Amino acid sequence: MSTASVPVPPAPTASGQTARRLRHAGQRLATVLLTLLGLLFLTFVIGRVMPLDPVLSIVGPDADRSTYEQVRQQLGLDRPLAVQFGYYLRDLSHGDLGKALLTGHPVRDDLARVLPATVELATLAILIGTLVGVPLGVYAATRRGRLGDHVVRLISLFGHSTPIFWFGMMGLLVFYAWLGWAGGGGRIDLAYDGLVQSRTGLLLVDSAMAGEWEVFQSALRFIALPAGILGLHAVAYISRMTRSFMLAQLSQEYILTARVKGLSETAVVWRHAFRNILVQLLTIVALAYGGLLEGAVLIETVFGWPGFGQYLTSSLLLGDMNAVMGSVLVVGIVFVALNLLSDALYQVFDPRTRS
Amino acid sequence: MNPSRTLRACALATALAAALVSLGAQARTPNDQLVIGVSMNNLLSLDPAGATGNDVVEIACNVYDYLVELDPLQTTTVKPGLAESWAIAPDGRRITFTLRQGAKFHSGNPVTAEDAAWSLQRVLKLNLALASPWKSYGFTAQNVVGLVRATDARTLVIDLPVATDPKMVLYTLGTSVSAVVLDRKTVLANEKNGDLGAAWLTTHAAGSGPFKLDEWRAKEVLFMSRFDGHWRGPAKLRRVVMRHMTESQSLRLMLGRGDIDIATGMSVPDIEAMKATPDTEVHSVNRGTLYYVAVSAKDPKFADKRVRAAVLRHLVDYDGINKTVMPYYGVYHQRPVPLGLPATLPEPGYKLDVAGARKLLAEAGYADGFKTTIRVVAESPFTNIATNLQATLAQAGIVASILPGTGNQVYGAMRERNFEIIVGRGGGGAEPHPHSSLRALVYNPDNSDQARLTNFQGWRTSFADPKVNQLIEGALLLTDPAKQTAAYQEVQRRFDSEVPAIQPISQMVDTVVMRKDVRDYVGHPSVTTRLRDVHKQR
Repeated sequence: MSTASVPVPPAPTASGQTARRLRHAGQRLATVLLTLLGLLFLTFVIGRVMPLDPVLSIVGPDADRSTYEQVRQQLGLDRPLAVQFGYYLRDLSHGDLGKALLTGHPVRDDLARVLPATVELATLAILIGTLVGVPLGVYAATRRGRLGDHVVRLISLFGHSTPIFWFGMMGLLVFYAWLGWAGGGGRIDLAYDGLVQSRTGLLLVDSAMAGEWEVFQSALRFIALPAGILGLHAVAYISRMTRSFMLAQLSQEYILTARVKGLSETAVVWRHAFRNILVQLLTIVALAYGGLLEGAVLIETVFGWPGFGQYLTSSLLLGDMNAVMGSVLVVGIVFVALNLLSDALYQVFDPRTRS
Repeated sequence: MNPSRTLRACALATALAAALVSLGAQARTPNDQLVIGVSMNNLLSLDPAGATGNDVVEIACNVYDYLVELDPLQTTTVKPGLAESWAIAPDGRRITFTLRQGAKFHSGNPVTAEDAAWSLQRVLKLNLALASPWKSYGFTAQNVVGLVRATDARTLVIDLPVATDPKMVLYTLGTSVSAVVLDRKTVLANEKNGDLGAAWLTTHAAGSGPFKLDEWRAKEVLFMSRFDGHWRGPAKLRRVVMRHMTESQSLRLMLGRGDIDIATGMSVPDIEAMKATPDTEVHSVNRGTLYYVAVSAKDPKFADKRVRAAVLRHLVDYDGINKTVMPYYGVYHQRPVPLGLPATLPEPGYKLDVAGARKLLAEAGYADGFKTTIRVVAESPFTNIATNLQATLAQAGIVASILPGTGNQVYGAMRERNFEIIVGRGGGGAEPHPHSSLRALVYNPDNSDQARLTNFQGWRTSFADPKVNQLIEGALLLTDPAKQTAAYQEVQRRFDSEVPAIQPISQMVDTVVMRKDVRDYVGHPSVTTRLRDVHKQR
């Protein structure tokens, strides 16, 4: 009697694994592309429904009919919506985001100019937010219910609930107008504007690479205040989250065990508890960074900072759809990239997610 | 590391950063540079054929030369620019300009009458926004080449296709961006697909003015530097910087520290505060544009003259608005012809009169009032005027809801003739001639929907009075100044008796705040403020 053979799943081979990974990556890519396409479509539809007339923005309220119609035709706005969207996608596939009404330049060039300004601001802010917020959060958690905890929570509450606009004005008043420590509006002192060739668009990096330390110092003077204020906002959020993550860890049994085993409090807090919240922290820092990139609008207005936030707002108010869609695409890509990055980091730091 | 040590390290790092930042003393703007803080939100293009709004005028009049200029203090006085003289034919249909010798463009090319003729022809061929005034004089893309021409390198002849007041044409030449003289060779060298250089001129300039455009980064900064080869001799300033700043408080702080020399577009409380400081002074200039309340005569309620009179004449608190809302924005004025012209009649003296309004409304069958909407641009002073109006309308039982929006939305609705009440600003304004405002605000030669005369605010309010049209057309052609003045006064009296759908409440004032060491800055009522003589005394 022959025994029925029990189907045994084939042992995973190296090539099988690669194939699976490739398939997984392919699915991931398709999802990302579909998400971005959906985002573009939605923006396009909303943009066309909005009661804003880009033609009117160009020709002004007093133009006559023939001028109005001519410009409308030049912009292609007389064609059916589906056709307009089709043309947009066609151009997009060639890397062409169209021309911005706002500046007269290709949207791609505009974004290449305004994005670094915001990236520089947001990066410095998130660095401040993380380097100050995380230790503060940990400190508060270890002092739960005591004075230190209350102080940190108060700082967090203050930073989170005070309008960033007000912080900006007060910061300018104190550090710029009274003390003269910080620069005023703009990214750099006009005397230094254009002295350093733009390589990355990040003024601090460019001037350091060129060895122009006076320019670097001027750029630092101008960025310190807006980045500090945005950073404070991030501190409030990050410290609050860190505190609650830490509290959750510190009440776990393994902490008790570690303490019973006689480990020092520093070792318990940093080597055990903190290591276990790293992954969660990465996610919130990534999200906060994305938020800063997109949400620095008010600070950019107060400080006359020529960045992405101002660009997006102005193009929205003008009904400049090429600029709006280009900007939305960038925001979409940034969020997708940050999500992918935090997923990847999860896999590095948390072995459980690797399967 | 223990938490409190971390905290101490952070504190130390912050202190270090602050110390680093405080290095480098704050300097005032250099002696030979002028830094202007300004909102460049409306600056979308620098092309003289297509760029609308006031922002571009302030730049164009310094980067380009005009054939003629209007005196900033006596705006009806026409002064030589690139043209050293001009003659008007006895029948008023031809203006002949003689251009000065030796003028050069920034490129080094000589300025010729051919350049001047080509520049004007270009405006009409492109048919963009700034072709409007020229089209109203009868020029078209087809006829302009024959009518505007150079007879030799220094002589430019402009033949007027339809009878008009040649003064009006001279004023347009002195105020409109479309009238600047372009360096034809440079522009054509940058032409793409037969666009007459339009794409290139959007962000570049090719002029002969006292300043060269160095760089314009939209919504950020614009640099101009002195053109040493200018025919008037070099300007006093080496560099002019316009910095995009929209936040009034930030402007105030920067002005206070001397990081900018001139600020425009500041809010009233900030202007008041700067007025009280010793280092700055406040300058206001009357513009020709008017703030108005308009109603749509297409709406059955406002088709009734009595309702229009009740709302526009009796239910607007003219005194209150002009005293509380308008300081630094506008001055009391109720006529369609701006202040300061010989033809302007004394104010009719409309004032808030609720009882009078109620009586008129009752006669029209609206004793209990009605519901309506006020469309308004969501910024000062428009919203303040609208809320004031809302309150006074309510006193006569009219319940008005306010619909705030962007300029685009509000004027867009007006262009569609789809509104009830609007608080807006408009008028010809730039040319110091009654016709300029009357054409923009009152004239409506065809009140049909199909006409789509969207450039006439008279058409947008759906109000047409053939007699007013006729009077406006007639007055423009009168060559005797006294008779012309009398004719324009007649237009205003007719306007008064017919209660048109648009009612001026205030004449626009533009206020700049500047450091006291800035000298010889004279704001121009037509926005063509020239910086060539401006300097600093420290």
